[in-house]
Amino acid sequence: MGNKRYLNFQGYSFMMPALLAILFFTIVPVVYAFFMMFYKVDILSGARTFIGLDNFRKIFEDPKFWASFTNTFRYVLVVVPIQTMIAMALAALLNSKINFSRGFLMIMFIPTLTSSSAMTLIFMWLFNNNGLMANVIEQLFGTKVEFLTNPSLVLTVIMAMNIFSTVPHFMVVFLSGLQDIPESLYEAASLDGANSFKKFLHVTVPQLMPITFYVITMGLVGCFQIFDQAFILSGGTGGPQNSTLTFSLYIYQLAFTSNDMGRATALAFVLGTIIFAVTYIVNKLLKADEVNG
Amino acid sequence: MKKIAAFALATSLLLGVTACSSGDSTKTTVKDDTITLAVWGSSPAETKGLETTVKSFEKSTGKNVKIEVIQDNFQDALTARFAAKNAPDVFYMESFAAPKFIKSGVLADISNDVKNQDDFYQPLLNSFKDKEGKLYAVPKDYSTLALYVNTDLLEKAGYTMADVPSDWEGLLNFSKTLQGKLTKDQAAMVFDTSMARHMSSLIASGLDPVTAEGKADFTSSPKALDYLQSLIDGHKEGYLKNAKIDLGVDWAGAAFGTNKAVMMIEGNWVLSALKTDYPTVKYEALEAPTVNGNKETMTFTVGYAISKDSKHKKTATEFINYMTGDGQKQWSELSGTFPTRQSVADAMKLDEDKVLKAHIEGAKYGTVWSSGVNLPVISGAFDNQFLAALNGDKTVNDAMKAAEKEANDEIARQE
Repeated sequence: MGNKRYLNFQGYSFMMPALLAILFFTIVPVVYAFFMMFYKVDILSGARTFIGLDNFRKIFEDPKFWASFTNTFRYVLVVVPIQTMIAMALAALLNSKINFSRGFLMIMFIPTLTSSSAMTLIFMWLFNNNGLMANVIEQLFGTKVEFLTNPSLVLTVIMAMNIFSTVPHFMVVFLSGLQDIPESLYEAASLDGANSFKKFLHVTVPQLMPITFYVITMGLVGCFQIFDQAFILSGGTGGPQNSTLTFSLYIYQLAFTSNDMGRATALAFVLGTIIFAVTYIVNKLLKADEVNG
Repeated sequence: MKKIAAFALATSLLLGVTACSSGDSTKTTVKDDTITLAVWGSSPAETKGLETTVKSFEKSTGKNVKIEVIQDNFQDALTARFAAKNAPDVFYMESFAAPKFIKSGVLADISNDVKNQDDFYQPLLNSFKDKEGKLYAVPKDYSTLALYVNTDLLEKAGYTMADVPSDWEGLLNFSKTLQGKLTKDQAAMVFDTSMARHMSSLIASGLDPVTAEGKADFTSSPKALDYLQSLIDGHKEGYLKNAKIDLGVDWAGAAFGTNKAVMMIEGNWVLSALKTDYPTVKYEALEAPTVNGNKETMTFTVGYAISKDSKHKKTATEFINYMTGDGQKQWSELSGTFPTRQSVADAMKLDEDKVLKAHIEGAKYGTVWSSGVNLPVISGAFDNQFLAALNGDKTVNDAMKAAEKEANDEIARQE
């Protein structure tokens, strides 16, 4: 018994640095936020008054909240499936024995290494009304497409940007999963007369399920929290017409521009709940527990 | 097992507490006459001006000033510092953001500490006062907007400075004809879409976007809507272009400096960039155009404020008095900014320089970019919705109605 206690103590003391970091930088802020969301908080002076659930009433009445809600969901629904599929397809392609696959891998990984702010500035340069994309489209089709000022297109630019920059990362994750699939499964499929597309569909995809679940979850969480691209592209305003206003950007605006920390934490709680719920549903749908054994 | 976990937790808490308190004790050992000054990163000239003037202050008083440069999103970083109860002693304060800080009660009342207040340009000083007239920051410099003309491009198009009209309507017509002689990636005039640049024009059109009750009003004056419509028409026909959206450069100064724009209405902050980054561009400056026959321009001012919880209030007060008093001439000369004291402005003879004169004249009638605690909400709603009008999604009238509602709803939620 004494020995066990000693072992426990040893274990905890080894974990102490990590536990401390988690306690102070995750648990304490979460608990504090949970407490703040029932107050009206002036972030500058720290003065607060209890207002119960009024912050939530304000949030649900706010058209900006619903704008950020729609934007973020649209963003997630487009980006997550596309980035997962492209990453998987590219990984399968690179895993087959094509020449220079290492070189391709290196080049394709560059977007992930580029900082998202630099990437945003490059995309803003490409897509501005007199930029490369707008001019090419104008020369080919004769119509002027204004990517950055048209509210229905500007989010698409951010989507493209995010897919472009996250696909390589997830591709590498898939690639490592692919290398774990035993060759014998493919041999057996070949004996049964499957062509390479069928092999991909019936061997690769199911075998990759645990990895896919990881990629989708990380993609979901990342997409729900999208902030920097929208912040830089709109200069922090979420415009034009709230079309780049995402949850995180709105939380930031509430805290720092509106000086209303209570409402910001309440919205952060709403976002947390949404991410939790969506991840749970995806978990159930993909039956990740069973796949992971 | 549980006990051990509890013990671990307790130890960690204890460690955390001691860590915090030891952090505090090191802080109080900082010498009593050292103050921290938070500023934003700016041009090399301003940085040098600040460092030199601070050194003169240190020399004449024997006190120390630690300059902290916050590179990006200054207001947000400052807000976070206040939230963490770790505010700098003295910091830059924009007139636009001042009412929010004053309302929160985190700034020290310096009404009786600033010397010779009558010498300041009063509109600048007033933008840092609360409703009872108490002063919370002292203006260090200011900028106004003026019309810059690239004379090389103008002459190439066959015009001279005498052809440039001094009223807004004339300027638009002139831009329209001028645009016909330029290439597609050049603009007769670059314009800005934010309310910060247009509030004085709106006021000159009979519309104060911030009502006496601090609510938003964008629709009560048809003349103001006409003014906004003129921007939209100009953008549609291509003789008004936005530097970022249409030309793909960071800001108007870069468009002007790279010969992509013949005219721009900008503040005197472009001067240092024109001097160092684009030394070959030839230009002249005129006063900002009149709108509906009224002289108008925007005035932007920044002041020094002292944190209410500062432990070094005496030194801090001494410092801001020096920077806006004895040291102001040195600061203004080195940084190229405009002095906020009339006596200093007279001594520097700024109005003898043709370009600077256009700006200095503007200070007499300029609208200071500050209008109560709700201005950030109101201008945010304007900026958001005006873009909708600009790209043709909404008519000006609808967009401004939407902006008004958006702002007023949000103001109600914040009360």
